[in-house]
Order: sequence, then structure tokens, then C-alpha cells
Amino acid sequence: MDFNLMIEIAPLLVKAAWVTVDISARALFFGFFIASVLVALRTSRTPPVRWLARAYISVVRGTPYFVQLLLVFYGGPAIGLRLDPFTCGVVVGAFNIGAYMSEAIRGAIESVDSGQNEASRSLGFGRLETLQHIILPQAAALMIRSVGVLAIILVKNSSLVSIISVVELTYQAQRLIGSTYKPLEVFTLSALMYIVIIYAVMGIVEFLYRRATRYTFQ
Amino acid sequence: MEFDFSPVMEYWPTLLQGVGVTLLIGLAVAVMSVIGGQIVAVITLYTRKMVNWPLRFFIWLFMTTPLLLQLYFLYFGIGEWILIPAIMVGVLGLGFHYMAYNADIFIATIRSVSSGQYEASRSLGFGHLATLFYVVLPQSFNRAMPQLSNNMIIMVKDISVLSAIGIGEMVYVSQYAISVTFRPFEFYITIAVIYYLINLMMEAGQTWIERRASYRS
Amino acid sequence: MRDTTETPMVELKGVKKRFGDLEVLKGIDLRVDRGRIISIIGPSGSGKSTLLRSVNNLEVIDEGTILLDGVQVNRPDLKGLAFERHINHIRQNMGMVFQHFNLFPHLSTLENVTLAPRKLKGMNTSDARELGMDLLERVGLSDKAKAYPSALSGGQKQRVAIARALAMQPKVMLFDEATSALDPELVEEVNQVMKGLAEEHMTMLIVTHEMTFARDVSDWAMFMDGGVVVEENTPEHLFSHPDQERTQNFLRKHLGAQS
Repeated sequence: MDFNLMIEIAPLLVKAAWVTVDISARALFFGFFIASVLVALRTSRTPPVRWLARAYISVVRGTPYFVQLLLVFYGGPAIGLRLDPFTCGVVVGAFNIGAYMSEAIRGAIESVDSGQNEASRSLGFGRLETLQHIILPQAAALMIRSVGVLAIILVKNSSLVSIISVVELTYQAQRLIGSTYKPLEVFTLSALMYIVIIYAVMGIVEFLYRRATRYTFQ
Repeated sequence: MEFDFSPVMEYWPTLLQGVGVTLLIGLAVAVMSVIGGQIVAVITLYTRKMVNWPLRFFIWLFMTTPLLLQLYFLYFGIGEWILIPAIMVGVLGLGFHYMAYNADIFIATIRSVSSGQYEASRSLGFGHLATLFYVVLPQSFNRAMPQLSNNMIIMVKDISVLSAIGIGEMVYVSQYAISVTFRPFEFYITIAVIYYLINLMMEAGQTWIERRASYRS
Repeated sequence: MRDTTETPMVELKGVKKRFGDLEVLKGIDLRVDRGRIISIIGPSGSGKSTLLRSVNNLEVIDEGTILLDGVQVNRPDLKGLAFERHINHIRQNMGMVFQHFNLFPHLSTLENVTLAPRKLKGMNTSDARELGMDLLERVGLSDKAKAYPSALSGGQKQRVAIARALAMQPKVMLFDEATSALDPELVEEVNQVMKGLAEEHMTMLIVTHEMTFARDVSDWAMFMDGGVVVEENTPEHLFSHPDQERTQNFLRKHLGAQS
């Protein structure tokens, strides 16, 4: 292995890794809002609203993220939607992960014993108050775990925005392989950076999980 | 804003060919990653840590880095030493990636087979290997079925990524058509619909397979 | 009373077994003649299950000798594959029935019964099927041949497990608390099958909690406690007039509750 080369290209890859973190973090942030809205729509009292939310989730989960990305970036202008590559990565990433996350959140909420809901309602709490004070605190732990899994998928998926020429980690790695003809060195370094990012995410998830379960027996 | 799907119709045979390639790759990768995953899991569980650490390392590496990066490495890395067709790189890359995920599942489900099952098999006179083949592996397979079919559904969607290394599946063949007709929206929508239909069928199959497997585990 | 010139079907001599520092079998001698039925009773932790599991080497004993029809089961002199081959052959001649059934969930009822004769004896499919159906008929479950274990009740599972063990035409049947995990109303159907075997003079070694059943069905009864055989006798004697105080105490607790 050519260590001099690795030291030489490291700054470029670190910079690109930061773009990977940036794009994933933004997509996660907006994705969470989209997910929350979807969960609300799915529990709406108006059936067509529920169907629409379900259809959206089904279509997003049933088609490749990569195709969604290409459709919005290259096909978007045909319907008047022009996004720069980075924004496109964030938007498509958020709308994609939002659909998965809404299922994760719903699963966590449904995992809370229905007796909790009944007990809270019988005390006179409303639907939203019950959700806020009783259900969500109990669902939080499971929710953090599954959102954490999705965040890791988001980081790995972000590599696909290299195709629409966002200069993130995979894009830079591919370019460096092409210019240096040293695939092993480039791969080792860039893989290492993905691993660092993913372990950092896992660390944060574990920290939040511990906090969420501070008062419970788990 | 007007849509014109006539170019899609014009290139329909090419697109169908791409669908065929996608499905064939899916089949090849499914077979490779399920059988390979089971072999990797068995070796990992039945050999010493000193011997199987490279396997555990590769499972970990394939699961913590993006597929596209792995494909680039295989494509340019292996291309350095030997000339193999891109489609081979694609099948192997996707195959190894999902082999790691499947091995991870099999390791868990093989471990979950109870000691009573081993004892029952041994008390009938079956040896270690026979017990593995007739009792442990079939059961671990049934128990792995839900996650396994999930992985395969995700895998088929990932075949679209192989267009990045120039494999003539759906996305790649339409990229050519798009460069001639300038109709990206229509083509990508069509691909999305085809993928959605494939996905619906796979989910129907998954429900059937899971019910059958849960009844037998 | 017992003909000592005949080769016993199962014989244990000075069997000792330790788990770490704990000695669970402290030198057990036992002799089961052809066609005899022996019940072993005792409190949990007495070593009775360990003893039974030692007979087909699911537990490896530390000292002593175990013989099946004159052939030594435990062979400290054999190592690795040689022992493996030896013990697999021995086990084919012993049927074992477990507390938790341990049916193979991925196989149908019939396949559970026929797996061993097909794969170990090379029996062809149609012969195996015939044998399997005969055995299922015998345990009253021929209508469940195609069902999977997940669809059976506990009692039905255990009856299939007995049929599975019988499929290799074993010389002796070992029952390890075969009815302990069953709901009370399902115990009788399994007991009936075991009684049927007794009438056919199957050699049986039964570890059980069912005192009434042990008294009714067996030719010889043993009471174990703390890794030793405290007392053994004919069931009439052991259950009605036990000589030892420990046996009396144990029976008072268990028979009292039952009858």
C-alpha cells in the first residue's frame, strides 16, 4: 500500500466526507418532519387522506431510491422542478427516508400497550395529550433505535448522489481511483471514513437510547 | 408542461430487454447470496475464531460501506488485474453485498435453533453433519425467511445502481434512450412504475412464503 | 426373581457424573432386563434425568460403564470420528422421548417419523411411508400425517415423538418426563400409548413425576435422591410400604396430592 498517496489524498476525502455528513444530516432532519406528517395523515379520520398517505408510503418504498433521484433531478425540469444537485440530494433523501421513518414511528407507537391509551383517556386526557405525555415517552426508546437504523441507511444511500455529481465521499473516491489508479488505497481510506461516520451515528443513537430509557427498567 | 410517452413506446423493446436483464441479475444474485450466505454462516459458526475472522471482517465491511463504493472498487480494482465483463462485476458485487447481509441473518437463526433439536436428532443416531443438514439448516432457513425475503426485495431495487458501472439493466438502457429523445421524466416514471409492479409481486410472494415458513418453524 | 444369566438389555455399573464441582450421579448400578419396564422417581435435582440422558450419552459420564444389550455405550478409549460412528450406531438402537417433545418443526408429522429410517437405514420412500403410517396409526394420529407440529396439541406432539423414536425399531425406549410439560387433560392420551408399548413388552426406562402411572405400568421402581438410588423394589412394595424415610416423605408429598 502506498501510504504517501493516502496521506496526500486524505484531505480531499475528509472534505468530501463532510459533504456526506451534511447531506445526510439535512435529509434526516427534514425526513423526520415528513415522517411525522405522514404518521398524522395515516391516523386521520378522513379515509381518503389515510389512503393518500398509504399510497405515498407504498410507492416510495416500492421503487428504488436511485430511480427517484434520477427522476427528480433529470425529470424534474419537465414539471418545472429545477434543483441543484445538493438540494436535490437532500430533498429526495428526505422524502424517501420520511416514508420509511413514518412506518418505524408508527410501529413504535403501536408497540405501546393499548391499555396505556385506555388508562390515559379514562383519566380525561385528550388524544393528542395522551400521545404527548403517555404514548410517545414510552415509544421513544424503540423509535430511537429504528430511526438510528434508517440514519445509517441514509448515510449509505447518500453515496448515490455522486451520480448527479455532488462531490461527496463516493464521488471523490471514484474520481481519485480514476486519477491515481490505486483503487485499494482509495477504497481503504474512503471505506474507513464511512465506517467512522456510521459508528458516530451508532454512538449518538446509543446515547439517546440510554437517555430515553433512563427511567425505565430496560 | 406536456408529456409525451411515444419515445418510451418507441424504445419499449429495449426497455423490456433491460427489465429482462434486471430480473436475470436479481435471480442470479438471489441464488448466490442465499446459498453463499448460508455457507458463510455455517463456516463462521462451526470453525474457530482464528480461522473465520476474515469472513467476519468481510461481513462487517460489506455491511458498513455503501454498495456503490464497493462496486467501484470491484470494477476498477479487479479490472486492474484481470479483464472480466462488467456484468460479472455487477453480479459478484451485488452478490457479495447481500451475501454478507444474509450471512448475518443465518448466523442469528442457526444460533436460535434450540439445543433440544440437536438432542432429538442426535438421539435418533444422526451425526453432527447429518444433524446440520437435516435439522438445523432447514429450520434456520424457515426462520430466516421473513428477513431474507425483505433483503431480496431491497436487493432488486439496488440492481438499478448497477447502471453506474455500465450494466444494461433498465436504468442504463433508458439513459441511452434519454440521451437521444430528451425525455427523462417519461422514461424514469416508466421505470419507477415497472419497479413498483415488480415490488408488488415480490411482496405478494413474500406474504405467501412467510406464511408457509412460519407454519413450519 | 430375576434371571441373572440372561444378558440385560441395559446395564449401568458404578456410573458417576459431575457438573463442575457438583457430583450429580454418585455411583449408580442399574439393570433392565429384556421386556422389563423400570420407573425412576425422585425430586427434581435428584439426578434421575441426568441418569437417563447418560444412557444414550447425551450426558457424558465420568466413571463407570453403560451397556446396551452387552455392548458398551460409553467408550472413553474411542476418540473423535471413531466414537462418533460408534455412538451414532448405538443411538439408533435406543429411542428417546423428551419432556419438550423436540419435534422437528420444519417437517410434517409423517416426515418426522420417517426421517431417521430414510436417512439412516436408507429405507425407500414408500416403505418408510408405510412404516410411518403404521406407527402414526399406533399412536392414534394417522389422520395428522400431513400436519406440521405447529398445528398439534402437546399430547399429539408427544405421541408423534414416541412414533418417531419407535421408527428405528429400538431395543429400548427412554422416557424423560414425557408428560411433565403437558396440560393435565392431555397426560392420559400419552400414558395410554406408553401402556400400549408396555403390553407389547417393549423394554422401557421411564423417568416420571406420575406416581400412579409408574405404579400401574412398571415392573420395577427406583427412588433417587441426591445422586444415589435410595431405594428400589417392586412398585407394589415401593409405593405402598417404602423402607426408607426419604422415600416415605417424598411419596407422602406426591401421592397425597394425586390420589
